Amino acid sequence: MELRLNGEQRSADVDPRMLLVEALRDAFGAHGPKIGCLTGDCGACTVRVDGAIVKSCLKLAVAAEGADVQTLEGLADDGGLSALQQAFWDSHAFQCGYCLSGMLFAAGDLLERVDSPTDAEIREAISGNLCRCTGYDPIVEAIRSVAS
Amino acid sequence: MIPTRFAYEAPGGAEEAVAILDAAAEPRVLAGGTWVVPELGSGASRPDVVVDLRRAGLGTIAAGEGTVMVGATATYADLIGSALVRERLPLLHEMAGGITGGWAIRGQGTIGGSLIAARPQSDVPAVLVALGAVAHVAGADGGRALPVPDLLTGPMQTGLARGELLTALELPVQIGTHGYVKLKRGASSWPIATAAAVAVDGVLTRLVLGGVAGTPVELEPEDATMAEIHDPWDDELAPAAYRVAVAGPLAARARRKAIGG
Repeated sequence: MELRLNGEQRSADVDPRMLLVEALRDAFGAHGPKIGCLTGDCGACTVRVDGAIVKSCLKLAVAAEGADVQTLEGLADDGGLSALQQAFWDSHAFQCGYCLSGMLFAAGDLLERVDSPTDAEIREAISGNLCRCTGYDPIVEAIRSVAS
Repeated sequence: MIPTRFAYEAPGGAEEAVAILDAAAEPRVLAGGTWVVPELGSGASRPDVVVDLRRAGLGTIAAGEGTVMVGATATYADLIGSALVRERLPLLHEMAGGITGGWAIRGQGTIGGSLIAARPQSDVPAVLVALGAVAHVAGADGGRALPVPDLLTGPMQTGLARGELLTALELPVQIGTHGYVKLKRGASSWPIATAAAVAVDGVLTRLVLGGVAGTPVELEPEDATMAEIHDPWDDELAPAAYRVAVAGPLAARARRKAIGG
């Protein structure tokens, strides 16, 4: 199948039984999105497809034929960090890092939708992403620091 | 990886979709995928053909004569962002704004998909019953329209015949006030039970409970404080006795939200 991945036209052999998250990781080599639950609950697989955030474990790979996909690897140029990534670093907003990719996409989507999000809006934006390490407060702080 | 092989089709319209559904042995319709894809992945669902509605053009929301036509694949995000829904179907708008799972789920989950999944642990079925929604169904022999309660024949069961496809929900424009209550354990959990009340001029006209039984339970409006639930629903979220116990209080809360006092 073909898709545009982080700005680059790519093609790869994909088993039609693959989920999009599996295809991104195993066929296209983008390991940013993680597999956590396969039921759309944990959010670790969140990426952008055609501009919108999507839980990629709920999408068939074949359904993304020709789509424009952004993963963790595409958030900043090589060696750089996006403002959100830097903020997550500065606020110690990750420990094991498993939820991090998904959190960054949920946060990025929020900042696109809302100019000055309240804490309630920040928490609602990450309500579809589970974190077992941080207790969420550093994540909220990281997002708040970029939003203001 | 999904354990079984299946053919994948993405028809360009309802007619094409119906033709595929009619010809397949065990087809499965795919809208947002929030229910269907995990079932494919676990092997709980083993279709021979997956019919993906992503290009079938069934996601529009449009005004009708005193009604709003909501396409089957309209997402929760579409409902939230629609001025028509916000102004003319405020109960539906409120429901959509409370769907859990984050904004990715709101952008993926569809109103039609949720209705056809017919899960008790879901907001959509009871709200559509409370709003008097009519389901528009396309089929090989033509189409039909039926009130949503007639479509919901049991938990996870609908009265769709072979080759039939839900294409839209037709909802009368809401009049009066409403109250919606959703009982759940955690902020991101599915509802254990819901109650939707609609009132006109301070008089309750509809009161529908979701999640307390296998299908939505419509109560007599005067029954707000006492609810007789036959075959209460039992699952890992809550046992049947709990649902029977909360039914009355939830109905009363929804009633108070709709008419105050």
